[in-house]
Amino acid sequence: MFFRRPSREEQIHGGPPLEFERPIPPAPWRGIAVVVTIVVVAATALWELYARSLGYAPTLNDNEDLWAKARRKVQPESIVIIGDSRAWFDVDLDEFEKGLGKRPIQLAMPGSTAWPALADLADDKNFHGTIICSFVPMLFFAPPGSPPMERAEKSVKRLHSQTPAQRVSEELGIRLEERVAFLKPDDLSLEGLLNQLPLPNRPGARVPPTFPPYFETEDRERRARMWEKCAEPGSELAKRIQQIWLPLFTPPPPPSYIPPDVFMAKMKEGIQKRFADVAAAVEKIRARGGKIVFVRFPHSGGLKELEDKIMPRQQNWNPLLQMTKAPGIYYSDFPELSGFNCPEWSHLSAGDSVEFSKRLVPHLRHALKM
Amino acid sequence: MLFNSLTFVVFFVVVVALYWSVAGWQLRKNILVVASYIFYGAWNPPFAALLFTTTAMDFWLGRQIGKSQTHSAKKRWLVASVCMNLSMLGFFKYGNFLLQNFQWLLARLGIIYQPPHLDILLPVGISFYTFHSLSYTLDIYRGVLQPTRSLRDFVLAVSFFPQLVAGPIVRAGDFLPQLQHPPRLKPNQFLWGLALMTLGLFEKIVLADTLLSGPADRIFGYPGPLVALDSWAGVLAFAGQIFFDFAGYSICAIGAALTLGFHLKDNFRFPYAAIGFSDFWRRWHISLSTFLRDYLYIPLGGNQVRPFRMALNLVIVMFLGGLWHGAAWTFVVWGLLHGSYLVIERVLRIFFEDKTWAGHPLTRVIAGFATYGAVCIAWVFFRASDFTIASRMLTGMFGGHPTGDMILTTRELLQIGIVTIGVIALHWTMREESFETTVMRLPAWAITAIGSFMAFAIIFTQGTSNAFIYFQF
Repeated sequence: MFFRRPSREEQIHGGPPLEFERPIPPAPWRGIAVVVTIVVVAATALWELYARSLGYAPTLNDNEDLWAKARRKVQPESIVIIGDSRAWFDVDLDEFEKGLGKRPIQLAMPGSTAWPALADLADDKNFHGTIICSFVPMLFFAPPGSPPMERAEKSVKRLHSQTPAQRVSEELGIRLEERVAFLKPDDLSLEGLLNQLPLPNRPGARVPPTFPPYFETEDRERRARMWEKCAEPGSELAKRIQQIWLPLFTPPPPPSYIPPDVFMAKMKEGIQKRFADVAAAVEKIRARGGKIVFVRFPHSGGLKELEDKIMPRQQNWNPLLQMTKAPGIYYSDFPELSGFNCPEWSHLSAGDSVEFSKRLVPHLRHALKM
Repeated sequence: MLFNSLTFVVFFVVVVALYWSVAGWQLRKNILVVASYIFYGAWNPPFAALLFTTTAMDFWLGRQIGKSQTHSAKKRWLVASVCMNLSMLGFFKYGNFLLQNFQWLLARLGIIYQPPHLDILLPVGISFYTFHSLSYTLDIYRGVLQPTRSLRDFVLAVSFFPQLVAGPIVRAGDFLPQLQHPPRLKPNQFLWGLALMTLGLFEKIVLADTLLSGPADRIFGYPGPLVALDSWAGVLAFAGQIFFDFAGYSICAIGAALTLGFHLKDNFRFPYAAIGFSDFWRRWHISLSTFLRDYLYIPLGGNQVRPFRMALNLVIVMFLGGLWHGAAWTFVVWGLLHGSYLVIERVLRIFFEDKTWAGHPLTRVIAGFATYGAVCIAWVFFRASDFTIASRMLTGMFGGHPTGDMILTTRELLQIGIVTIGVIALHWTMREESFETTVMRLPAWAITAIGSFMAFAIIFTQGTSNAFIYFQF
C-alpha cells in the first residue's frame, strides 16, 4: 500500500512522539472549584427547601426500572395486578394480602394499557398464578404506537434488556428519591417547569395532551397513594386534574393524513384484534393452571359520564368477558363498591383505597373461586 | 454504563480515588484495565469477552507484522487483522442488513429466498473499539508504530473507558506512548477535566435530551405530512441534538481522561461555523474523519491523482463513512450526500478560489450558512428511519405540504429557535480559536458563574439516563 515511512524520531521512540498535550487554561481552578461547589450545594439545598414548602415530599417516581424490579419478583404462583393507574391507586396491598392470603405484586402502570404486561405473563411459561387486570376501555384498547402502549411496552422491554448498570442506577435512584423532595420530573424538572409556561399554541396545532401534575406517592412495592393535597375536599389540584382528564380521555380527531372512514375502520379492527389477542393470552395462562379476573375500578363525575358515553359497557366490558370466558367485577354492580368518590374523578384517595380493597376482596375470592 | 447515570458517578469516584491513591504505575494501569472492563461489562458482560478476544488477536497480529521481515509477509498479517476486525463488525453490525439486501437482489432476479432473521445483539460501541484496535496493526504496518510488548497496555489502549464506546477514536499510536511514564496528579489539570465533564454533561442532559430530543423525535416519528415550519424545526432540533449529544460525550471523555492524566485530542471544533464541507469535516467527528483520511483516502491516492479519481475517492470514503454509522441505506445516502458536497466544493474552488469576492466576509458568512443548511438536509437521511420519512420531511421543508399538520408547541419552537441561534452564534464567535483559548480570556468570576450554572442545571434538569446517540454505532 502507500503509507509513508516513519520519521527517524518516531522510530527511535517506538511510536509517534507525544506531541499532543491538552492545554490547561490558566485560572485559579482550586478557588473556582470551591466556589462552584458552595454555590451548587446552596442552590440545591434552597431548591429542596422550596419544593418542600410547596408541599412536595420525597417519594419514588414510577419508571420502567422500578416496574422491571417488581416484575422480577413474580413467582410461578404469584398474584399479580396489571393494567392502568386505577389499579395502581385503588389497590391496597396489605388488604389484598389479608384477604387473598398472598401479597400481590403491583405491576399496573399509570397511563398505560394492560396488554403488553398480560402478553409477557402469558409468554412466561413458568407463570401459572393469578392476574387481577384493571379495565379502562380507552387505555385497554390503546392502539400500537399510542403513548399508553409505548409506556407499557417500554417497561416490558426493559425487563428483558435491563443492563447491570441500569439496575445499579435504579437502586441508587431509589435511595435518592426517598430522601430528596425536588426529584419530581413531571413538576419540578426543567422540562416540567417549561411545560407549565402559559404559552398559547398555534390555532389548529395538534399538540400533545397535557398530563396531570404530581399527585401521588409511590413506595418500593409500587403502591401508589393519592397525595393528601389532591384528596382534600374542594382541592384546587383535584379540580385542575379533572379538567386534564376530560381532553385526555376524549378520542383525538382522526389524523389529517388518513380518511376518517378508513381511520375508524382501522380503529375497530384494532379493537377486535385486541379482544382476540387478550382472549388467546388468557387461554394460554389458563391452560397452565393460571387465573385472571378483570376489574372495573371506580370513576366519577364528568369523567365517568364521558367514559360511559364514548365506550359504553355493552360494547367493551361484556364482549371482553364473553370472549375471554373470564370473570369480571364491575364496581357499579355492587352497592358496597359503588359509594366511593374519586376526588379527581379517576382514582380513589389513599384512605378510600384501603376500604375499597377490603370490600373488593370477597368479590375477588368469589370470582377466582378461592 | 452511561456518563449521565448515577452508576457512573459512583464508579468514577471510586476509580479515580483508587487510581490516584496507589503508587505503582503498573498497579494503576491494572486498575484502569479492570475499571474499563467493568464499565463495558455493565452493559452486557459476555461482550467484554468479545472485546478482549479481538484485542488479543490484534495484539498478536501486531507482533507478527512487526516481526515480519518482508513487505509481503507484513501485508498478509495486516490483511488478517483487517479481515478479523471487519468480519466481527460485519457480522454483528451488518449481518441482517446484508441478508436483507441479498434477499432483495434475489427477488429482482425472480428467486424467492426467505433468509433467517439473525437475532444478533449489537455489542455497544463495536464500531469505535474496532477502529481503536485496527489503528494499531495499521500503524505498525505503516511503520509509524512499534508493537508494544505489553498485552495489558494494548488492552488498556483499546478499552480505556472514557473513550471506549463512543469515541473519540483514539489511535493506539496516540495512547500507547502515554502509558510509558506515569502521569503526575496535577490539580489544575484534574479540575479542568472535571470542568470539561460538567460541560459535556450539560450539553447532553440539558441541551440535547431536555430541550431538543423530544421535538426531534416527534417530528421524525410523525406519520403524516408536516408544514415547513415544523419540518425545519424538527431538522434543526436534530442538528442541535446530535451535536450536543456527541460533542457532549466527547468532551466528557476528554475530561474524564484528563482527570486520570491522559490527553485525548479534540473531536469537535465548532462545526456549525464551518465554511464549506472540507472545513466541516475538519471540525466534526475529527477522529473519524482523520482516521478515514489516513487509512482510506490517502491510500486510495488522496488528492495526488487525477481530478476524476480524486472525486471518486471522496465519494468512496464518505460512502463507507456513512455505512460505518449504521446498517441502513439512509446512512449510505447521508454519506454519499457529504461525498457529493465535497466534490462540488472542489469543483467550485477551481472556478472561484481566485476571485476577490470569494474572501469577502459577507461571502464567507453566506457560505457558512449554506454549509449549515446543506448539512441539515443531510441530517434528514441520518435521522429518518426510512426513505419514506426522509422524503416526506424534505417535501415538508421545501413547502410541499402547505396544508400539513403543525405538531410542535410554541414552547418547543421557541426552545429550538433559541438553542439553534445560540449554538450557531457561539460557533461563529469561537470558530478561529480553541475552546481553551476562549476560557483563558474569561475572568475567574465568569468561569465560576458558568460552571455553577451548568452544574446546577444538570441537577435541576433531573435527566433520565437516555443513551447517547452514537452508542448505537
